[in-house]
Amino acid sequence: MTGRRVAVVGAGMTRFVRRAQETGKELAFQASRAALDAAEMKLGQVDAVCLTSAPDAFDGVHRKGDYLADGAGGWNKPFIRTYVGGGSGVFTAIQGWYTVASGQADVVLCVAEEKMSSCQPHPQGAFLTIFDNILERPLGPNLLWIFALEMNRYMQRYGLEKRDIAAVAVKNKRNAADHPAALLGQADISVDDVLASDVLAWPVQRLDVSPISDGAVAIIMASEETARRLTAAPVWIDGVGWNLDSTYWTNRDLSYPEYVEKAARMAYGMAGITEPRKQIHVAEPYDPFDYKELHHLEGLLLFDKGKAPEAAAAGVTARDGDLPCCPSGGLLGVGNPIAAAGLMKIAELFWQLRGEAGARQVPGTPERGVAQAWGDLMQVGTVVVMGAGGAGGLRGSGLAARPHPSPLRPDPSGQSAAPPTSMLGPTSLSDAQFRSVAGAVDTPLDVLYAWDPGDAIGAFLDGLRDGRILATTCASCGRTLVPPRAFCERCFRSTDAWMELAATGTVETFSICHVTWDMRPLDEPELPAVIRIDGSSDGGFLHKLDEVAPDDVRIGMAVEAVWRPLDDRTGSILDIAYFRPRDPAPDRELVAAAAGEMTP
Amino acid sequence: MTVRRIEGELPVAFRYTPGVGNTAFFEALRDRGTFLGSRCADCGVTYLPARIFCERCLAGLVPDTECGPEGTVESWTVARQDVDGRPLDPPVTFALVRLDGADTVLLHRLLGTADIGGRVRAVLRPERTASILDLQGFEPV
Repeated sequence: MTGRRVAVVGAGMTRFVRRAQETGKELAFQASRAALDAAEMKLGQVDAVCLTSAPDAFDGVHRKGDYLADGAGGWNKPFIRTYVGGGSGVFTAIQGWYTVASGQADVVLCVAEEKMSSCQPHPQGAFLTIFDNILERPLGPNLLWIFALEMNRYMQRYGLEKRDIAAVAVKNKRNAADHPAALLGQADISVDDVLASDVLAWPVQRLDVSPISDGAVAIIMASEETARRLTAAPVWIDGVGWNLDSTYWTNRDLSYPEYVEKAARMAYGMAGITEPRKQIHVAEPYDPFDYKELHHLEGLLLFDKGKAPEAAAAGVTARDGDLPCCPSGGLLGVGNPIAAAGLMKIAELFWQLRGEAGARQVPGTPERGVAQAWGDLMQVGTVVVMGAGGAGGLRGSGLAARPHPSPLRPDPSGQSAAPPTSMLGPTSLSDAQFRSVAGAVDTPLDVLYAWDPGDAIGAFLDGLRDGRILATTCASCGRTLVPPRAFCERCFRSTDAWMELAATGTVETFSICHVTWDMRPLDEPELPAVIRIDGSSDGGFLHKLDEVAPDDVRIGMAVEAVWRPLDDRTGSILDIAYFRPRDPAPDRELVAAAAGEMTP
Repeated sequence: MTVRRIEGELPVAFRYTPGVGNTAFFEALRDRGTFLGSRCADCGVTYLPARIFCERCLAGLVPDTECGPEGTVESWTVARQDVDGRPLDPPVTFALVRLDGADTVLLHRLLGTADIGGRVRAVLRPERTASILDLQGFEPV
C-alpha cells in the first residue's frame, strides 16, 4: 500500500448541457456545492482543492486554474490545477489521492469543469495546435482524423464490424436515459440509427461521437480516519495508475492502447488485483467515441485484444450484463464536457459502489470498479480502481459516527422526478438564446505564432525541397526515424547518422473525411492517411492520398510520394503534394539498396 | 542550415456570456441604472457585481443587494500608452472604486482626478445595452 488510505466521501455534478448560461466559475460552484451538500459538509472542512479543466482555449480564459478557484472553494487554500487533456478528470482524482495519501491534507475537494460553448466557431479550433505545427497543420487536419485513423486501424487489425462497435453508442445512450444529468440519453436508439447517421470521417459517424458539452463534477476525498467519521459508506481509492505513450501519435500502435494497459497494471498492482476480469465488477472506461470504450476495455485487460466488440454486441457490457460498462451512460450519453466527463466516471463508481445509482444501479452488490480516461495527444491513460468496504473497509463494521447521508436532492430543472444523484443546474440555453444573451462579449483570439522547426526537422524540410526523404538512425535501438529526430526519446541519446530513404511507403491507416475542422461539409472528401516510409521504423507520418478512389484505398497499400514541381517547393511538408498508389508493388530489396547512409 | 519561420494562427473567437450573477448585475444596470451585488450574511461580505456564490464559504447567494452609486477610490493610475505601446492622447485615468455597501472594487475610468480615499459618483450613459460600458466612469463628488 502506498501512503495513507484514501476514500471518496461525497460526489456532486451539474447536468451536462450544450450551452450553459452559467459561467465556468458558476458551474464549478454548482458541482462543488452539490458534493458538499451530499456529504453534509461545509467548505471549512476542506483542507485543499484539486481542480482540473482541459484546454484554456475552450473557455477562452488563459488562466483557467485560478480563474475557477473561487467556484471550486479554493479561496485561501492550497490549490492546484492539473492537466492531462481528456485524461484530466480521472487524473484530478489521482491528484486528490496523493494530496491526502501524502498526509498533506485530510480532506480534499476535487473539481472538474469544462465550458466548451464559448469557443467559436467550433471548439475543435482549440485543438488545432495539438497537431504538429510544421509537419501536420499545413495539411489542414481535422481532429476527427486522429480518431478515424485509429478506429480504422483497430477495425482492420481485428476484422471488426461497425455494427458491433455501434452497439456501444446504443448501450450508452440508452443507459443515459436513466441519468438525470444526461444531455443525450435516448431510450429507443438502435444500431441502425447509428449506422444511418452522417459519415463525418469514415469510419466515424455522427452518432459514434460524444457531444460538445458544458458541465462540472466534484468529489470529496478524505483520509481513512476522517472518512470513517464523515460517512458510514466511504468508497476507497484502491489503486491509481497513469502512463504516457509516444508523443508521436502516428508512431503508436493505433490498434491497441498500450498506455492504458500500463496505467491499469500500475493501478491493479496497487489494488492487489491479479484477475481483473473476476475482481472488477463495474467499469467506467472513457468513451468519447464508441470504439474507444472497446479499445480501453481491452487496455484495461477486461477483454482480449479485439474481443470487446463482440462482447458489447452480445450484451456482456450492458448494465445487467456480466461486466457492466458505462452504466452512467458515459460521454456518449451523459455528455462530454471534457475534464468533467472524466471525473463523472469517478462519481458514478462512487454512487454504484454505495448502491445509490438509482435507476442506473447495476444488479448485485458491486464491490470494485475501475474508471479510466484518455487524453493529451490521445496517448495518456489515467486509471483509478475503487472499492466499497472490502478488507479493512467499513461495510458491516458498525463504526459509523453519523447516519449515511442521502444523496437525493431535488432537481430544479424538474426534468426528473427522482434524481439518483446530487445535482444542481445549470440553465440550458438554446442556440438562439446563446446568440442574444444580454451582456455577452465576442472576442477573437488575435494572435499569430511563428515556429522554428529546429535542426532535425529543418534538415528534413530542406530534403523535401530537394525531393529527398531524410531519416536519422539510433544505433542503440536500431530504429530509423522518419521524420528525423535529433534525439532518440527511447534511448535518450542523440541520434547517430542521417540516411536517405526512397519516397515510397505503405498506408498504415486512412480515413475518408467529409467535413472541415469546424464541421462544414467538404465538396470532395479528403483522404488523410498515416504513411510508413519503406525502411523506417515505428508507424509513419500524417499525409494525404490522391489519384485513388476513396473506396479503393486499403490499409497496407503500397504508395509513392508525388512531388510538387521543383519551382513550387518551399521546404514544407506540402512539397510532397500527396501519396498515390504504387503500381506495381515495390520491390523491397531495391528499396533497401537505395537507402544508403549519407549526411545532409 | 536554413532558418525558417513557420507562421500559424489559432483561428478561434470566444463568446463570453456573463453567467447568472453578472446577468442580474447587467440587467439592473441597464434597466434601472443601479448596481446590484449579493451579500453573504455569514461571512459579512458583499460582492459587486453580484455573484451566485460566496467564495469564502460556497454558500449560494441571491443578487439582491444594491450598492452605490457613490463610492471611494481605492487606487488609480494614468494610462499614457495603449496595449500596443502607442501614445494615448489625452491620457486615460483608471481607478479601482469601492461602491458604498460593497466589499469588492470595480475597475473603471476616472472622469477627472481624485486621490485614494476620494469620493466619486457613477456616471451612467443614457442609452444602455447591458455592458460594463453602460457606466461611463466615475466623477469626483
